[in-house]
Amino acid sequence: MSAAEIETPAHSATRTYRAPMGATWWTRKGHYFWYVVREFTAVPLALWLLWFLVEIKRAGAGAVGYAPHSSTPFVIFSVICLLFALYHSVTFLSLAGVIIHPRVMGRPVPPRLIVLLMFGQWAVASIVIAAVLIGFGR
Amino acid sequence: MAEKRITIQATRFDPEKDSVPRLQSYDIPFSDESMVVLDGLNYIKAHVDGSLSYRWSCRMGICGSCGMMVNGTPKLTCNAFLRDYWPRPVIVEPLSNFPIIRDLVIDMDGFMRKLKSIKPWIIRKQEIPLAAGEHKQVTEQIDEFKQFSQCINCMLCYAACPVYGLNDEFLGPAAIALARRYNLDSRDQGLKERLPLIANSEGIWECSFVGECSVVCPKGVDPAKAIQQTKLDTTMRFVLPYGNRE
Repeated sequence: MSAAEIETPAHSATRTYRAPMGATWWTRKGHYFWYVVREFTAVPLALWLLWFLVEIKRAGAGAVGYAPHSSTPFVIFSVICLLFALYHSVTFLSLAGVIIHPRVMGRPVPPRLIVLLMFGQWAVASIVIAAVLIGFGR
Repeated sequence: MAEKRITIQATRFDPEKDSVPRLQSYDIPFSDESMVVLDGLNYIKAHVDGSLSYRWSCRMGICGSCGMMVNGTPKLTCNAFLRDYWPRPVIVEPLSNFPIIRDLVIDMDGFMRKLKSIKPWIIRKQEIPLAAGEHKQVTEQIDEFKQFSQCINCMLCYAACPVYGLNDEFLGPAAIALARRYNLDSRDQGLKERLPLIANSEGIWECSFVGECSVVCPKGVDPAKAIQQTKLDTTMRFVLPYGNRE
């Protein structure tokens, strides 16, 4: 047992025991597990961006060198990253109704409406970006 | 017909003798479907082992004294029915993330210091004389903070919070929710006094929004909401020029 586990608070003569927090605390509950998954979604996305930069660098040698869609590992990894990104976005936008608390005409906006607006903006932004990318791709 | 029974496994820790806590099993009669875990502990204390130590008071989910881990989840033991666990054994442990003093009793001094530090009372720049009458509020103003005023300081949210478990300097869910309760109160003018404490790295910014504090709260306070809203408000105060107005 480490010294940190047994403590004698300065203000009292009582000896106390503090249970150490194990490295596997996040496996104790589903809620904790999905929280850690949510937090770690940034890691595969960062890796994907690095990989994508490598693919873009190849484009420096001409259009022939740029063909990420023909790389099976890149496509598979992209699909996995998309799932992570979707999970992060859905959880993030679903919580917006809890966090944002605007008032319109002196009345609070219902959280459900805020979440709906968030998902609406997400859909519009996705369509615009997709249209731009497809447009430039042609 | 055989008497219905249930096993309660309770944490035992004697600071004079034990180096680590241990679980002790008690097989007790489960004669009444309305029995709660606290009733089981009281039965053990009265009929089986008088040395078992734990806190309790009101038995009706108001005082917040009897919070313990019941099968790994922070609960008010006066509100945890044995029928929900029977015939499996019920494991009763002290609230996680706190130092244990004895058996199921935790050291709550740190929590009490944090609670006091956020100045949970109405602060006025200038007191209104009693002769001027009461501070009046309309229903909409009360609704702003009412939810956060329901906290009974049971500390279940701290036991559920892995961030607090990893860093006990974190101000924690209940204290921040209570700070928000007063900051939202139309009668209060103490925001600037509380901000240095709640808007620092051991305050709201230490929270990474696990959200389990709100799940376990027996009063539906939603401390996670209080923390995230405070993050947004303090950011707006910083970003927007008019945000720094009182």
